[in-house]
Amino acid sequence: MTSIVDRLLLSLNSTVIDYEILLLIIITTLGVAIFTVMAVNALIAVYFERKVSAFMQDRLGPMEVGIFGFKGGKKFWGGIGQTLADAIKLLVKEDIIPDNADRTLMILAPFIIFTGALLTFIAVPFSSNFVISDFNIGIFYIVAMSSVGVIGIILAGWSSNNKWSLYGAMRAAAQIVSYEIPIGLSILLVVLVSGSLNIGDIVEWQSSNRWFIFHSPFTFIAFFIFFISVVAETNRTPFDIPEAESELVAGWMTEYSGFRWALFFLSEYANMLIVCLVASIIFLGGWLSPFHIINIFPESWYIFDGPNIGLLWLFSKAAILIFVMMWFRWTFPRLRVDQLMYLCWKVFIPISLFNLFFVSLWELMTNV
Amino acid sequence: MSEYIGNIVYGIKSFITGMKLTWSHFVNKKDLVATLQYPNEKWPIPEKNIGFDHSEYNSIRSRLHVDIDDCIACMQCERACPVDCIKIDSVKPPKDIEYDCGMTSNDTQKKMIVSRFTIDMSECMYCNLCVYPCPEECIYMVGGPNEDKHPIDYEFSQYSRDGMIFEFADATDEMIKEAGGKKWIESRDFKNEKLNDGENLKGIVVEEKPLLSKEEPKVNNEISTVSDVKIEKNVELNITSFNTITDKMSRGIAKKVYVSSKRNGKDHIAILSDVSQTLSDAGKMTDDIKSILELLYPSSKDEMNKSVHKEDNSSDLKENNQDASSAKKNDAKNIVEIDIKDLNKIEDKMARGTAKKAFVGAKRTGEDKLVAIRESLNKNNLLSKDIDELLNTFSPDPGSSNSKAETTIKNNESDESKDILFDIKELNKIEDKMARGISKKVYIAGKRNNKQPKEIIEEILISLKDSDKISDAIIQLLNKLKGN
Repeated sequence: MTSIVDRLLLSLNSTVIDYEILLLIIITTLGVAIFTVMAVNALIAVYFERKVSAFMQDRLGPMEVGIFGFKGGKKFWGGIGQTLADAIKLLVKEDIIPDNADRTLMILAPFIIFTGALLTFIAVPFSSNFVISDFNIGIFYIVAMSSVGVIGIILAGWSSNNKWSLYGAMRAAAQIVSYEIPIGLSILLVVLVSGSLNIGDIVEWQSSNRWFIFHSPFTFIAFFIFFISVVAETNRTPFDIPEAESELVAGWMTEYSGFRWALFFLSEYANMLIVCLVASIIFLGGWLSPFHIINIFPESWYIFDGPNIGLLWLFSKAAILIFVMMWFRWTFPRLRVDQLMYLCWKVFIPISLFNLFFVSLWELMTNV
Repeated sequence: MSEYIGNIVYGIKSFITGMKLTWSHFVNKKDLVATLQYPNEKWPIPEKNIGFDHSEYNSIRSRLHVDIDDCIACMQCERACPVDCIKIDSVKPPKDIEYDCGMTSNDTQKKMIVSRFTIDMSECMYCNLCVYPCPEECIYMVGGPNEDKHPIDYEFSQYSRDGMIFEFADATDEMIKEAGGKKWIESRDFKNEKLNDGENLKGIVVEEKPLLSKEEPKVNNEISTVSDVKIEKNVELNITSFNTITDKMSRGIAKKVYVSSKRNGKDHIAILSDVSQTLSDAGKMTDDIKSILELLYPSSKDEMNKSVHKEDNSSDLKENNQDASSAKKNDAKNIVEIDIKDLNKIEDKMARGTAKKAFVGAKRTGEDKLVAIRESLNKNNLLSKDIDELLNTFSPDPGSSNSKAETTIKNNESDESKDILFDIKELNKIEDKMARGISKKVYIAGKRNNKQPKEIIEEILISLKDSDKISDAIIQLLNKLKGN
């Protein structure tokens, strides 16, 4: 697994441009590329979210704004222009900053959250060939970076000078910090078995053995704990108590509008994509074809693997997980704060610790 | 400890139950969609309306309407109105001027002309008090018992508040001047000017529609505009006329030919014949297109004559046309006339083609169009219940003497084909409000999916049973409907 940055540097090294400038150009280009992926993801995911919610609530969802030759109507793509129209509306909206707010911090906060999401993408591989930078501690970096957003959330809540914002920020911080523990413990199982923090090595292990979710009964449980915990970490319903429309207006986003609010929205959906990509990489075989679920198939069945088609496998797995997240959102009512903490500290963490113990035992037994 | 594990197991169970429920809604979205796509689909209007019978109070009252031809400007309604939303101005011809103000339908000689009759529906409180004093019974709430005089308005929403002021007087400025109302017109224009000045002071440029202009009644000209458009289309052929052709290829060909032959300076009829020639050469000529092209020819005999005299005096022709359109307007005031565009709602291609053919033929010969369409469809066994319903929504031609024959045909049909869906009004006999609502909902859903009446009745029964609203009376009623 070579990273895109390295390959570009190698191929462009023969040109006369200075190494430093070349690096700068490449990094900027890739940053713009990541931003594009995030924006497109948000556009499509928001549309899907609205359609899925509508279908689950016996409605039809957006169906008036057609675009790109799609006519408005009852068909699934009938309202595909809606999210684009919404995005344009958000960008031209007035940018409001309250008088008593902490101006600097309030302007800074959305960018910190956005940077957290953007930086995480650096280590998330899209297939065996498409990774911006290949760390040897990739999975650790992802876990670390995804909690940078908490700083932004607390800043946003504090600087707004609004009781709802502050409540929302405190709740978000408590929730995200708590749920990072079961996430870490679940990832630890994978690291323990594959013996590496490098994502490429983790997927390599899965290609020579099987998907991690079917490694043992304990990883099977760990996958669900991981997935539910990341839903909590992305602040999505049923764990959306930091936003809690009915209690806190919009939580830490209450005072934001226009472009800054759009940034929050963009990073929320980018985080969704990241956690789903990570879940599919470490538990569902990443860019491997579905034949790798258990390795009983002959070699000839693996022709569907490859760096380019792997992109398709990974994104379809992530798309299914994103759909499940939407499915959660429109099924379950919001948890109370105490229920949320109960679920994390009294259910997930003990079970994760048991998992860790039994997986170590399992490894000992099978590798003798 | 056992409670702890029990909680977890219960949590997982309820998790699965919840997910299953939303999934079942997600995959069955087509049957379960509960919303009505409002501008495209509309709920049926309750047909009860304010009437003179005591039991009909408290049902819906749609909109005030005035048959201005019958109005004698007695001002009784204006005086009766508790909120002063009716404003009437009249001009009485002086004794030295011989001016006939016309007769009402009750054979009362009118003594003055109504120069202004506005009702501000945003102020109206639907008390119906203006209706009782009217000696000519020309002001009434539309729909309900007055359905034959004026069909019910589904809605009268407007873009500006001024739109809620409905102007009913149709006297033109010339008529008023003739009747000696010069002074009145001057004062009105003066008022309008002041109003406009006021608007200009605000920095708002007023549209070309002064508040009190006498041009046309604002409402109730849906029908008249339709006929106006039709006539215009016949006179002026332009490229948009071909937009009604549904097939993309043939539309393109038609437009191409139109442009090229127009460049060569050909006239109306020559262009059309060119178009039809090229289309049939290309093998794209269908019945549909044929009827559209036939419509584009100057249709009635008058207009044929006019097009002959076209070179003589084109401005004269325009005036004539306007007269014709206004005459037609008066005729068609209270009647929904069938238009060829309405036939596009027919889904079956064959049936649509036949219907359009019959429509054009009937238009040429001056027969009743509805009867002709029905006959030709019956001949080819294409008359389905949907089409029948569609045709039922139109009233027969005003001038046709065939209306009796038409009704008899209708009766025969209802005897013959048992699959015609019963009307939603039948369900009004259900007394329980909840049950009525449920059954109407199911009825609409079934109708939308083109289900058989028997199926719909079964579904109504099932959903009523589910919600425990069923009673013996309802079962009897539904069985009766099934029997029909």
